[in-house]
Amino acid sequence: MANDLQLPVFTNTSEQEVSGKWGMVIDQDLCTGCQACVAACSMENNVPFVGEEDANYGRSMHWIRIERFWSGTFPEVKMTPYQPMLCQQCHNAPCEPVCPVFASVHSASEDTNLQVYNRCVGTRYCANNCPYQVRVFNWRDYTDARARPWLTSLQNQLSPDVTVRRRGVMEKCTFCIQRIHQAEQVAASENRSIADGDVTPACAQACPADAIVFGRIDDPNSRVSQAALNARGYHQLDELRTTPRITYLHGASNGSNG
Amino acid sequence: MAATAKSLPQPRARVAEHEDPRVHLMHDPRPRGEMNDMVLESMHTATWRYWIATGTLTFLVLTCFVFAWYYLIANGLGVAGVNRPVYWGIFLVNTVFWIGISHAGTFISAILRVMKIEGRRPFTRAAELMTTFGLVQAGASIFMHMGRVWLAYWLFPFPNERGLWPDFHSPLMWDFLAINTYLLCSTMYLFLPLIPDLAMVRDRAKGWQKIPYRILALGFRGTEGEWKNLHTAMNIFAFAIIPVMFSVHTIVSWDFAMATRPGWSSTVFGPYFVIGALHSGMAAVAIVLFLIRSTMKNMKYFLRPEHFNLIGMLMLLVSMAWAYFYFNDYLVPWYGGDKWEKILQEFTEKGPIWWLWYVMLICNVAIPWLILWRKKWRSTPWLLAIVGVFINIGMWIERYVIIPEALTINRMPFTWRIYIPHVEIFLTIGTVSLFLLLYMLASRVIPLIPVWEVQEGQESHTLRRVGKAELSTLTNIE
Amino acid sequence: MAENITLLALFEDIEPAVRGIDRLRELGVSDQDLNVISGVPIPGRVLGRPGAITNVAKIAIAGAIFGLFFGLALIYGTPYLYPLLVGGQPIYPIPMGWIVMFEMTMLGLMGFAFLGLFVDSGFPAYTPMNYVPEISDGRIALLFPCSDDERGKFSDALKSAGAESVEPAEARHL
Repeated sequence: MANDLQLPVFTNTSEQEVSGKWGMVIDQDLCTGCQACVAACSMENNVPFVGEEDANYGRSMHWIRIERFWSGTFPEVKMTPYQPMLCQQCHNAPCEPVCPVFASVHSASEDTNLQVYNRCVGTRYCANNCPYQVRVFNWRDYTDARARPWLTSLQNQLSPDVTVRRRGVMEKCTFCIQRIHQAEQVAASENRSIADGDVTPACAQACPADAIVFGRIDDPNSRVSQAALNARGYHQLDELRTTPRITYLHGASNGSNG
Repeated sequence: MAATAKSLPQPRARVAEHEDPRVHLMHDPRPRGEMNDMVLESMHTATWRYWIATGTLTFLVLTCFVFAWYYLIANGLGVAGVNRPVYWGIFLVNTVFWIGISHAGTFISAILRVMKIEGRRPFTRAAELMTTFGLVQAGASIFMHMGRVWLAYWLFPFPNERGLWPDFHSPLMWDFLAINTYLLCSTMYLFLPLIPDLAMVRDRAKGWQKIPYRILALGFRGTEGEWKNLHTAMNIFAFAIIPVMFSVHTIVSWDFAMATRPGWSSTVFGPYFVIGALHSGMAAVAIVLFLIRSTMKNMKYFLRPEHFNLIGMLMLLVSMAWAYFYFNDYLVPWYGGDKWEKILQEFTEKGPIWWLWYVMLICNVAIPWLILWRKKWRSTPWLLAIVGVFINIGMWIERYVIIPEALTINRMPFTWRIYIPHVEIFLTIGTVSLFLLLYMLASRVIPLIPVWEVQEGQESHTLRRVGKAELSTLTNIE
Repeated sequence: MAENITLLALFEDIEPAVRGIDRLRELGVSDQDLNVISGVPIPGRVLGRPGAITNVAKIAIAGAIFGLFFGLALIYGTPYLYPLLVGGQPIYPIPMGWIVMFEMTMLGLMGFAFLGLFVDSGFPAYTPMNYVPEISDGRIALLFPCSDDERGKFSDALKSAGAESVEPAEARHL
């Protein structure tokens, strides 16, 4: 989104001119809240199951969650549109400068926010500082089959392109960077630049309503750039100037957060 | 003639007793050899009560600190009560609490020395020990909260084969530098005035016990050059450690102020936390001094009601400053503006644990303000210690309100969740026990009273006759 | 020829010690040769002697400068070696520079003041030295050289000034 107010900008070199490559549009009017994206993301990215007790205590590790708010009781229920919340890949990510060991850094080439699992020491400052609360922490060894025997068979479905994280490490949505890298390698081997439609993250692929559109936002002709121009478009928590890479399109009941 | 008017009753003269100046330590000098004897006797006398206390504390440390921490590291932070959105819980509360306690040592030892307040002389070492031991607990609490604590050394900037350095954009790295600076410098500052007293113990020790004191006393004799060097070094430390002390808790406050959370992103946090640190620290000093005075031999000579009066006055002053800063921090969200901060404030005052907030205010403001204004009450050691306990409870709750309670409310209401501590409770008991245990052990090993400083002060004070009175006169021999 | 010995005179208080120093000066002991050892610091002004000179302050300032450059290396040198982009903030941030440089300067100042004490006083000194344990009990000792046959003269002069004892100094392990 352009800086309409022409406010002076004092920060770093990689500014808004380099508008970055990957972005997303989520149409809240189309979203049915089916949670297919949640399931697909968990399977694609080896997101562990935490179990009932920990999930009750707010430790579920889904990288994307569907938020829903309602008032009243059945049948007079008023609902806001479903709100898929995932890492907004902010340009000025508040989670990045607070990590003491550079485990949460910004990718200049893809303009996404990277989480380096093997560097994370688990201070969880990044999670505290994320205004969207999309970062999740491995509170226990959720993938340790010795402690959880029922996991043994599920280990066959782990994606080989994605690390399996152990405890003490933060994680979050990466825009399926393994798929991005694969597409980049394919494009490089074919001597072309990566085209719109080459990369589909797991959530966009699974959504039956096609509510999630992903693509190159530095290409004004791409599907996602065109969709972002929609008059219903807004950014979450815009006032914090995190400049996220995800544009939401307002849903029918004109509900926003809360 | 008219009837004689009834004579007015004579106004009753209000008689005040003149205080005998010899009540004050500085005017009650004893030969240095005798004072040395008293201090050594208190070091070497251990009653059965001491052993019961030490045994209990050792048991608590072994179970609630060593074993509980092992359990935490072996099983991960899932055994603690932290979740989304309360990613930081009691471990951080304890960290801030212990750093706060550690500030009292520097305040007394450095600021009172720089301001030449003579009343500080007998208890500077007890306060400095609090700094060192408090920082040990703070460091332990920080390590406890880390997810992969075995990699904690990555915060240390050292050249490595990956070419990686820590991120100085992060307030946690400023914390790392500041707390380590403070720990090293306050330990050095503890050691400097300890050297002459270690020399004294070395001179009187016999047998194998002499060896560690001989080594630690570094061959100190007391020549003019040695005293001059020691004095200069102590002066440099006294002046330099004051800004470090301010910077440490300010930087700790910036862990929270730099975050985008409602209730945390407040510009008043820097001075607010420093004053909060002094508040809990001074209260802890009162408790420790009361325990030393009532349980160790001969301490009633060194630690007198006048010292408790001094600490009590400081406690009252700091309590008022804390109330000022807290009101500042309270008024802005109350007035409106940021909807999330207002929701957080309502959650604090009317939510499920509303009573904590009231207990905090009673302990931090009401109790000190009701009791500490009267000199007689301030000078009563046990009363001051009780007020100190309440203040420490209140300040611990204050950090609880700031950290886990404020984290419950954020800008994504779908994630709001209450924090229920588990293993943190045991580890909190463990850190308190370890702090006390270290103190108990230190009291056997080093003299808790800096006798040479007390003698130096006593030589500087005389009684000068003016008219019929003997007035206290301080000549700064330095 | 009488050999030079070192005498150690013990005084109980400051006034007798000052008288003793005056007597020694009359008897020809120079200020450099005389050592005053005491259990509390007594300024040279009180004793009537030139005060001691200390290098601790200079060493501390050198340490502060070293700390400043170390802080600079940390905050601007390390991102130069491995720049990483975080949060839209500059790679060479200025406010953090103040914080890091301040902390490292203070650490350098105090750390080198501490080491300066060691260096300037020759700590740790575990060789045998002239000392008596009464000094840490508050006595003031005057340590000075004299020739063996003049020992009685010095001893009488100091005893009349109020010395508790005047004995040859023994170098002993402390």
